[in-house]
Amino acid sequence: MKKIILLCLLTFASLQAQIKEDVQVPYISYEIKMGQGFDAIQANCLMCHSFGYIINQGAQSKEFWHKKVVKMITHFKAPIDEQAVKDTTNYLFEHYGNGKLK
Amino acid sequence: MKRRDFLKASVVASAALAGTSVSAGVTTQPKDAQKVSKIAFPEKRPLITYSDRPPLLETPRESFSKAITPNDEFFVRWHMPDIPTHIDLEKFKIVIDGLVERELSISIAELKSDYEQVEVTAVLQCGGNSRSAFKPIAGGIQWGSGAMGCAKWKGVRLSDLLSRAGMKKDAKWIGFNGSETAAYYETPNFVREMELTDLDDHVIVAYEMNGEDLPYLNGYPVRLIIPGHYSDSWIKMLSKITVGEKYRSLFFMDVAYRIPDNECECETPQDRFKQTKPITLMNVKSVIGYPTNSTKVYHNSHVVVRGVAFDDGHGIKDVFVSIDGGKTWEKSILEKDVDRYAFVAYRYTFKPETYGKVTIMAKAVNRLGDEQPFAKDIQWNHGGYKYNGIDTVTIDVV
Repeated sequence: MKKIILLCLLTFASLQAQIKEDVQVPYISYEIKMGQGFDAIQANCLMCHSFGYIINQGAQSKEFWHKKVVKMITHFKAPIDEQAVKDTTNYLFEHYGNGKLK
Repeated sequence: MKRRDFLKASVVASAALAGTSVSAGVTTQPKDAQKVSKIAFPEKRPLITYSDRPPLLETPRESFSKAITPNDEFFVRWHMPDIPTHIDLEKFKIVIDGLVERELSISIAELKSDYEQVEVTAVLQCGGNSRSAFKPIAGGIQWGSGAMGCAKWKGVRLSDLLSRAGMKKDAKWIGFNGSETAAYYETPNFVREMELTDLDDHVIVAYEMNGEDLPYLNGYPVRLIIPGHYSDSWIKMLSKITVGEKYRSLFFMDVAYRIPDNECECETPQDRFKQTKPITLMNVKSVIGYPTNSTKVYHNSHVVVRGVAFDDGHGIKDVFVSIDGGKTWEKSILEKDVDRYAFVAYRYTFKPETYGKVTIMAKAVNRLGDEQPFAKDIQWNHGGYKYNGIDTVTIDVV
């Protein structure tokens, strides 16, 4: 009988998850540069990803940033309007650019 | 001169020599010695943190002196902002549908009791691991060398699940769906497709990692394991397997994780190669886990260099170590490999006989004779994929 109980306990234990409650993925506040167009970044980028995703791309060309923004629209279906495409691209290039247009 | 200054200087020098701009691409060593975050993520110790949403965490170099990467040090990479924050094991099901005789809905308990349980020790590596080595900077997260790890995975063969469901004659493609979701309804899900011909018995649906439940951020409760392949198709929180006749056009298959389809797998930013192919199998690579850059050691002391090497499953034949900047090489001692897809740990002991900076390099060779190139000889691709340059650390002998 003892054996059966132990066996049951073992079986039961193996179905227990290590985590039984909701996990909390921590919020990290990334230092992002302030400047013209930052509003557009807040309104259009943060829905899907953190600032970390932006600042860890490395310094890039204007064309690169423009293509990234367009990719968010064509492939990820982000509702970014024409003016916001300009504003976000300019902001990204100014603060996270490599100085090259292409 | 500091090491970083030296690297910069050599980049400028080689660009000047070639008489062209740096845009031709001069690959360097990947970023190194980045600080871990002060904040630990669930079930993880503090790791290098690129993003919290989606979570992107890198394993520090020190971890790669051992053949198994502990679960709490294992890197994390998600694609979508919303990952379920709770999985109810009683309710969670893996659905198999499409061109099958019997649609299946398998619980984790059934997965553990109704099928043969198998294990494989295999390296999980992001295709963009070490991306920061590429110059000019390739698009994507600027990973150092820690977007990889090796674990013992336990689960059930995918082929066993599919034969239980019974594939119909016309079946040709298998689609995998994870449980992460986008912020917008219209955003494509993170779905991957595998051609049936690529399915072998090594592909498993795993629920256990190094003897524990999969950590939440590594895909709890089940993920796909495709040994030898880059991790882009190792779907986390695997919830749906759909068998189909035709390949479905998918962003994450058609646009992301692709390299130039030419022999050198290379291109320049000005002249991108039009034909592309998926990254698929991993190339031969090794990393030095100890010592790390700027470690101080005593003159004439015994230094044991330790690291790991791996490839796509052909197996590592040798790891050579150089302590003179790549002029001469000696064989290191390899630990017995546990699995052909696993990290092979190596060690090499030497006595530094000079003072000042000593540069240590490690180069792996696999059983096919493929060996790692010097970093500077690796050519550029736009996604910064498949970097496998000879790893280099510089220590101070005092």
